[in-house]
Parts: sequence; C-alpha cells; structure tokens
Amino acid sequence: MTLENVVEADVLVIGGGIAGCFAAIKAREQGLDVTIVDKAYAGKSGGTRVAGFGYVVFNPEWGHDLDTWMNAINKKGEYINNREWTEIVLKESWTTYQALDSWGVDFTPESVKSIDPTKALKIYPPFAFVNLGLTRTGPPSRKQAVKSGVKIMDGIMVTDLLKQDEKVVGAIGFSPTSYDSYIFKAKATIVSSGIVNFRSVAEIANLTGDGETMAYRAGAELTSKEFPDEHVMPLVPTGCLCGEAISYANYIDAEGERIDLSHTHETRLALDFAFHAGEGPIFWDLDSATPEVIEKMCERQDHTPWRHEAVRSFDPRNRGKYRIAGGAWAGGQNSHTGGIWPINTKCATTLPGLYAAGETCGTRFLGADHPVPGFGLLGAAVTGSRAGLGAAEYALQAEEPTIDEEELARLKKIMNAPAERKGGFSPRWVTQILRNTMIPYFIIHIKQGERLQAALTIVEFLEDHLVPKLTAKDGHELRLAHETKNMVLHAEMILRASLFRTESRGTHYREDYPRRDDPTWLAWVKLREEQGRMKLFKEPIPKEWWPDLSKPYEERYPLRFPGE
Amino acid sequence: MAIDRIDPELCNGCGICINSCHMDVIRMDEESKKAVIKYPEDCVCCEYCKLDCPENAIYVSPVRHTPILVTWC
Repeated sequence: MTLENVVEADVLVIGGGIAGCFAAIKAREQGLDVTIVDKAYAGKSGGTRVAGFGYVVFNPEWGHDLDTWMNAINKKGEYINNREWTEIVLKESWTTYQALDSWGVDFTPESVKSIDPTKALKIYPPFAFVNLGLTRTGPPSRKQAVKSGVKIMDGIMVTDLLKQDEKVVGAIGFSPTSYDSYIFKAKATIVSSGIVNFRSVAEIANLTGDGETMAYRAGAELTSKEFPDEHVMPLVPTGCLCGEAISYANYIDAEGERIDLSHTHETRLALDFAFHAGEGPIFWDLDSATPEVIEKMCERQDHTPWRHEAVRSFDPRNRGKYRIAGGAWAGGQNSHTGGIWPINTKCATTLPGLYAAGETCGTRFLGADHPVPGFGLLGAAVTGSRAGLGAAEYALQAEEPTIDEEELARLKKIMNAPAERKGGFSPRWVTQILRNTMIPYFIIHIKQGERLQAALTIVEFLEDHLVPKLTAKDGHELRLAHETKNMVLHAEMILRASLFRTESRGTHYREDYPRRDDPTWLAWVKLREEQGRMKLFKEPIPKEWWPDLSKPYEERYPLRFPGE
Repeated sequence: MAIDRIDPELCNGCGICINSCHMDVIRMDEESKKAVIKYPEDCVCCEYCKLDCPENAIYVSPVRHTPILVTWC
C-alpha cells in the first residue's frame, strides 16, 4: 500500500445503493457527518441498478387492507416471516415512495395497478405497485445524498470492520486503483452492501456479500441463508430477460409439453424438477401468449433503456420459443430474508455500533419466499431509513471512537496479505472452482443431505487451504481476492444452514425432507462464529405467529413440494 | 471477446464508463486522459459502460471470457 488515509465520520455507510443512500440521507438529516463508501460507484453499483419492475406501495386510501396483505405474505412466506417487520415495511411504503418521488425518481403513478394473480403468482391476492420509469432509483438517490451533504467515496473496497472493546468503530479498506489504504473511524457503521451471488448474472456480478461476511468475522449473527433466490432466465437472446420470463410464466419441455406450474410450490422449483426428471431443455413459450400479454411486454420494453442491447432489441411481437436456464442469481438469498440479524426495528445488530440495511439486513419480512416483484426496493428503502435513524441516534450518544492499534495492524496484515504473497492461488481460479461446486441445481436448488455434505467438504477445503493463500498482483486483483474469500464464506453459510434445516419450506427444498415440519421448524436458522467455527442454532418463532396447527397440513400449505 | 474496444478518437475522457463498470475493468490512462480497457478478463458483458457512454465509443461483444454458469439449461 502506498498512502494511508484516515477518514472520520459520525456515521459510515458501506454500500451506496438505495438502502445506503436512504440510510445516509436520514442520518445526515439528524445533523451528523455522514460518509458513504462504495467499492464501485454509489448509485450505479449493486442490485439497485437492476431492481425493478416497480415499487410496492401499500395505501389504505387506495382501498388496500392491511390484514389481506399481511395474510398473503404470511402464507407465501410460509409463516416464518417476521410479522413485526412485515407490518413496518408495508406501513412505511407510502412515505418512502414519496421520498423517492421527491428526489426525482421517475415513477409512473398512473401505472398503479394490481398484479394479476392468475399469472405466475397463482393463488395470492393482488398487491399494488408503482412502475419505475427511466431513471431507476440509484442516480436520483445519490444526487439527493450529495445535495443533503453526505460525502461519497467511490472505488474503495472495504475489507473488514474495526472493533474497539467489542464495539464497531469503523472499517478498513483500500483503493484498487491507487492502491492507497483507508482507515474509517466512525461512531456508528451501517452495512448496506447488498446480497451475494456467485458471479452469475452480469449486472450484479460485483455483489459478493462483503457486508455480511465482514459482520460475521466481527462476531455478528446472521440468519436465513438456506433460502435461495428463485430467478430463471432465458439463454436466448441473452441471459438478462429474467424479469419478462418471470412475469409471463409459460414453459414447455423438450417434447413441447406445457410444464404444469399449478401444483408445485413455485415456478423455479417446477422447472428445476422438470429438468431433474430429464425433460430438458426447457423453453419459454411466447407462441401461445395472448396479444394482451405481448402488448404488456412491449410496454415494459419501453421502460428498460438501461438494459442489455440484446434485451432492448428483443421484440415480443416476433414471439418464438426461448431456451431457459436456471440460477440467474445463483448464490443469492430470497429477497429480504437472509442477512445480518437485526436485534430491533432500528436495524441494530448484535454488535454495538453496527447497523444493517437493505438486503444485508435479515429482517425476514417476506419469510421463506417472496410474493411478488417490487418488494426488494421497498424493503431496502424502509430498512435504509430505519438504519440511518438508528445509527444516528446511537452516534449522537457515542463517545469519540478510538482505534485499537493492535487490531488495526492485524486487519491491515490480512488486507494486504494476498498482494504480499509470492506464490499461491489466483482468485479468479478459486472463484471458478467455487462456482462449479455451488451452482449446479442439485446442490443449490434441489438439496439433499449427502450432496450438501459433499459440497461442504470441498468448500471447507477451499476455505482452509486455498483462501489463506490467495494471491494478487495489483489492487484490482486484491479486490478479487477479498471478494473470493467472501463468496467462499457465504457458500459455507448456505450449505450449513441448508443442512441444518431438515425440512422443506418456501424456496428451501430438501429432497430428503420434502415436507414442512410444524412446529419443529417454525423457527429461524441463525449462525455466528464461535472460536473460529461456524455455529448454527434455532430461533423459535413467537407462537402467536404460528399457523393454525389444528387445520390439516394441506390447508396450511396449499402448495405441494415434489415427493411429499 | 467481452469489452472489445474503446475508440480513442471518440472517447472524450469523461470517465463515466469507469464509474459504470462495477467490475473495475476500465481505467483512465493518465497520459492520454482516455478510458482504456485494463482487465478484459473480468468483463461480464453487462454493457453498462456502452449504455452510459455519451460518445458511443465503446464496443462490447456478447461473449464473456468466463462463461456464465447456470444451475441447469
């Protein structure tokens, strides 16, 4: 490292997507000195740029009924959603929508409509959402943050959180471009660096779960890593049409037979199983779409100028059959389920001084599966606001942070180690091995104890033998080395949590345990590091949130898993 | 393969593509003050650089150095 920079702030925000911007703006409104640090460019990097069809808005004035919405989420989330959070998110959807609107996010309010429940969403009642227009949420949110006096530092990869007397007092990182190191001293720190994926879809390939893993290494508790993401994607004309393929769920197998989606839990799993049964390849069939469906798709095309050229040149009117692939966000968790365990509704974590926002915050407000698109952005905005206010409240009472020099030296050594190592393993190669191990459907989607254990054996070897010897020849590769380390740790979390939950629920499917197991698994899986090992435990769900156990299983869970 | 070319004749050195590239593939050449492709092997073909370039100076081929890996296809 060449130069050492020390940056001081009342509140440090790691990750500048919509959650990070909301958090920073809210903390700044409390009169505090706030800095956002992003490894790419705040407002453009991460999931925020790809997020969305729209923004879910709950508004009683539009005739929305809270109980109806709550019941729908409880049912689709298979009763393990945190209802306190579900209610908060719904109730704060209108204020966060108004904030985004006032910052210049291009919504099309006339688009407010109900999602047709007869389509991919099957039995669930309609939710309302506002379409997102051309600008998306990122750039206007960044602009608002700058306008309100938030400092933004782009292009800095944060590697670890700094602790003093068990409190989080900032973070350390480096610039892959200048190769300078950065020490951030902060009274409160918010991590809002998004989900993880194993470099699957192009647009989110930089999301390597850095915030969650640095919190884990610092001793925070995490939750719900066993619920995988469920996007599918057409391979032709490109790998980025997953939104369209989800909204119009009409698939055929190799013999041209329509794949029945009405009985299984969800589209993704139905396709996984058709493939598993040897019925692949699978095609997205536009030939049988009604003119209305085609028209709707064309409308949406107009709203996605930021997308891949192949997507923009895709004309639904030409119809056709498009080959589908699974695992668009392989490695990711179901939206707003997995993440750092918040200990209260201010997004505080088990570590004093550390707050979590956005997909990094494990609110579990959607439970084991999400009902409709559009909740991702909403959850990020609400948790961002709350984390910003919570961190500000903490920072206003916190003492001036001091840095433990010994701890700083230890973390600096870890940060630089790959660059100082002469021989070892290239991060690009280790990432490929990890992808090959984790991404196949029979590991990450259709799970089974022995297969999970086999993958875990390999992942543990990567962690024990390859990760400690990652090499980097410059700042860019040093970023890759830390990202690889974080993805490998995430893989361990996913595998261990998947092994631990010996039942099927929501997006978590175990071939060897194909039924929901009430009340044993009306519980969340939590994990934390203890003496260098990952420890998992069960957190029971409050009894008042349980489904009515006197009702037959088939009534509690109208959707069937294969093999039940 | 991946990001193919940033046309130095068209590039105005604004640096927007560098901010758009979340994979840190593009860097500013200090001498020429133009954007250059530094780590093409990490390009994921998202085309954000191309979409955001005000001068249409960037060419991206849809073929990635590291192929997309899917759960099934």
